[in-house]
Amino acid sequence: MAGYLGNIKETVTSIFEGMSVTFSHFVRRPYTVQYPDRIPIPIQDTLPFRYRGILEVDLEICTGCLACERACPIDCIVIEAVKDKQTKAMVLNRFDIDIAKCMYCGLCSEPCPTGSIHHTSQFEGADYSLESMLRRFVKAPVVAYKPKKGPETDPVVGPLLDRGLRYLDDFAKPGGASEASEPDEAGAT
Amino acid sequence: MKELVLSLIADGGVLAGVPYAVAAPLVMLGFGAVVVFGFVLPIAGITSWLERRVWARIQSRVGPNRVGPQGFLQWLADGLKNLLKEDIIPSAADRWLFSLAPYLVVAGFIATFAAIPFAAPLIIADLNIGILYITAVTGIVVVGVLMAGWASNNKWSLLGGIRSAAQIISYEIPAGLSVFPVVLLTGTLSMQGIIQAQGWAPWDWFLFHNPFTFVAFFLFFVAALAEGNRTPFDIPEAESELVAGFCTEYSGMRYLLFFLEEWGNLYVIGAIVTTLFLGGWQVPAFTENLLVLTLVQFGVFFLKAYFFVFLAMWIRATLPRVRVDQLMTLCWKYMVPIAIVNMLGTAVWMIVVSEALGRLVQIAMTIAGAAIVVLFFRRVRFHLRRARLQPADYYYSPII
Amino acid sequence: MSLGGFDVQVVRESGFATEEMTLNMGPQHPSTHGVLRFVVRADGEVMTEAVPDVGYLHRSIEKIAEKVGYHGFMPYTDRVDYVAAMPCNQGWAMVCEKLAGLEVPRRAEFCRVIATEFNRIASHLLAVGSMGMDIGAYTPFTHALREREYINDLLEELCGARLTFNYVRIGGVGWDLPPDFERKGLAYIERFEPLIDEYNSLISFNKIYKERLAGVAVISAADAINYNLTGPNLRASGVKFDVRRDLPYSIYPELDFDVPVGTGEAGVVGDCFDRYMLRIREMQESCKILRQCLRQVPPGSVLGKVPRKFKPPVGDAYVRLESARGDMGWYCVSDGTEYPYRVKIRTGSFTATSIIEKVSRGLMIADLIAVIASLDLVAPEIDR
Repeated sequence: MAGYLGNIKETVTSIFEGMSVTFSHFVRRPYTVQYPDRIPIPIQDTLPFRYRGILEVDLEICTGCLACERACPIDCIVIEAVKDKQTKAMVLNRFDIDIAKCMYCGLCSEPCPTGSIHHTSQFEGADYSLESMLRRFVKAPVVAYKPKKGPETDPVVGPLLDRGLRYLDDFAKPGGASEASEPDEAGAT
Repeated sequence: MKELVLSLIADGGVLAGVPYAVAAPLVMLGFGAVVVFGFVLPIAGITSWLERRVWARIQSRVGPNRVGPQGFLQWLADGLKNLLKEDIIPSAADRWLFSLAPYLVVAGFIATFAAIPFAAPLIIADLNIGILYITAVTGIVVVGVLMAGWASNNKWSLLGGIRSAAQIISYEIPAGLSVFPVVLLTGTLSMQGIIQAQGWAPWDWFLFHNPFTFVAFFLFFVAALAEGNRTPFDIPEAESELVAGFCTEYSGMRYLLFFLEEWGNLYVIGAIVTTLFLGGWQVPAFTENLLVLTLVQFGVFFLKAYFFVFLAMWIRATLPRVRVDQLMTLCWKYMVPIAIVNMLGTAVWMIVVSEALGRLVQIAMTIAGAAIVVLFFRRVRFHLRRARLQPADYYYSPII
Repeated sequence: MSLGGFDVQVVRESGFATEEMTLNMGPQHPSTHGVLRFVVRADGEVMTEAVPDVGYLHRSIEKIAEKVGYHGFMPYTDRVDYVAAMPCNQGWAMVCEKLAGLEVPRRAEFCRVIATEFNRIASHLLAVGSMGMDIGAYTPFTHALREREYINDLLEELCGARLTFNYVRIGGVGWDLPPDFERKGLAYIERFEPLIDEYNSLISFNKIYKERLAGVAVISAADAINYNLTGPNLRASGVKFDVRRDLPYSIYPELDFDVPVGTGEAGVVGDCFDRYMLRIREMQESCKILRQCLRQVPPGSVLGKVPRKFKPPVGDAYVRLESARGDMGWYCVSDGTEYPYRVKIRTGSFTATSIIEKVSRGLMIADLIAVIASLDLVAPEIDR
């Protein structure tokens, strides 16, 4: 008999407790972000600088070293770079990234010397055709970039190189001092 | 209703000259059509929208808010979408039973509206067996669910159908037994009669009449939830176990009819509980204007009934599901004995307790009920304090 | 016992013919925690046998390691158990470091532990949330996921991804802690701990919930050890074994935390409720660990010097670590080239699947769902 009444009492009190918790949620703000239209700033701008979205290549600073193609574990990067016999410069004929295959691991952007291949904060890559998943970055054969000894002075290439090097700075450097507190990292894009 | 028909077939009325035997069913059908298409189906649809919004706020999210203002037309969009869907009937399923099942279920539920009072003069048929008729006609739903489970030719649906049959049939008993205290107190089964035996003030409601009817109220509500296949008793359609239970194989409008019945049934439950325990449409007679009085009565009844719809949604969001054998244990070992005790207790109360003492108990129980509500809100405040929320985490408006 | 079904025997007792029914809880099911299939032989509601059928999510990850090399395999380890990906990353890094005899910088160890403990909380939140949903309570699931979203945001700031982190590298970690991470992490822990109590009030101590889980699928300590259960499943049966405490690695010897054990508070020791409550308690322990770690992260580098063409000496190594699902074992055989010869991963969910068949005799179908959820199976871990 005691167990019988105890069961009833426990049922009633625990249901009372549970319902008071759920009722308390009526006055709490929902967690939902009503993307894409009812938010103050676009979602892409709220993502951290390290966010591994869809890959992008700044061909102006690509040196044609093929480090990213070798590092990719899923073979989604295809690069064709030939050394031009006359000018002795690397010419990039093809730089394809298949974003359907890419697993957004970031292993390609780590070894890049200039940070030309990097992850953007774009994640909306859905499209109607499979062909659009293959991003061709080389429209016409372009000469690869040759890093200068001193600071880069070209007004177009300079900012790209700065951004690329800042992106690379984020990665952990083997040995050496820690990159723990760079004051300009927070919230920068 | 009878006076209305007689006034219509009298000379000068709209149906002058029509014999009573023809006019009465016609008028009833007319009212029935108005009630069904103008009230029941929209209410069932709006309940679906409201359920999603209430659920969402409880779960820290938003719910549909794009289709129409605050998502209010979402149910119309869902209904239209389901009408346009392909009607798939599995090749090995029993075609006729499969097609007939949703219609039976909806018929059983809509038929209850013939006896549900909306205001003092607004009732399609004030049967003198009102509450018994409603309890009986909701039994057709069991047949429909069983048919759906069997005719789907799917073992999971069969399990859902059988579970549902066992559940609904079992819980008819505590529900019926919990109606008895009220019937004993009023001496009539008629819905309007039960309402007229109560008053507009909370201490005149049967809910606070004596401790036995108080317990009977909770028993009836729980049993009615179980009959309506609502969590914590939504075993037949247990989403995580049986995919969708007895309605797994259904698609399109047939599927939606089952859920229309579920949401509409919530309103029926609310209406019955309001009638039996909460004083129905009773309001203090504050005006001579019959139209205004009727409207206010309708509003009061609707709000009271809809509070129980809201309560059912809130319970669904909070509680987990009981297992089938625990469901049966709950019914037969806990609810039926307590319901029988309630019935006997009320009978004894009626004989033993005097008028004055009864009045005192009514007032005391009303105060106790108010104390429970106050205790509840204090607990809510405790939870809000314990969660240590920031001011930015509070949001009071339902509009988002 | 057959995956294609059973020979049905019609039993005639006193003129009433009954037969058992063969149900297929197919690969597509709302609550088998991934693509798992169970062939269930049931007498109405009561099961006589439930045979699991695994392999629907097999992706040959161990074979892929032989093709992509040591560095390239790190993102694949995320997919071994995508719910708790950090311990998997750490396991692979640890086995490569053991093969090559590498030292990991101290700050990197702290970063790894912080990331792993956050991931443990996230994984347990998902486990208890989906357990609630399988039992029928839809609200605790969304609340648990809401808290998990905050952790996802923190880890997104740390390494750029929300689910498949690829954070750990051989010899350290890939990114250092971003500025202000310690403050944000501690603020999250402050916010999260009272919400565990609220979660308990909502669902854990609910009578209906306890009735569903208490006394169901009791696994004794002897059974748990015989069937190789690990992690919360093992500890819920009363066995106090935690790889972080008993075979310590990384900086766990310096941290102060308890190892909760199942006590049979609602029913019998080793029932579903114990496994569930143990995960809640482990979340609280992880909060303790995180507080200690976030307050005392030492300065220094986070990555050791590791050649790009990583060629460990010939040999093999086996490493054990405590993932969210228990004792995860990583075994690697190296033949001196930059591609491993063989990788073998031992996961906790695989052995937990094996006990379902034993424990489900006599249970009801609704209980089978509760058992699967309480053992915290994730299909990718079972099939790899």
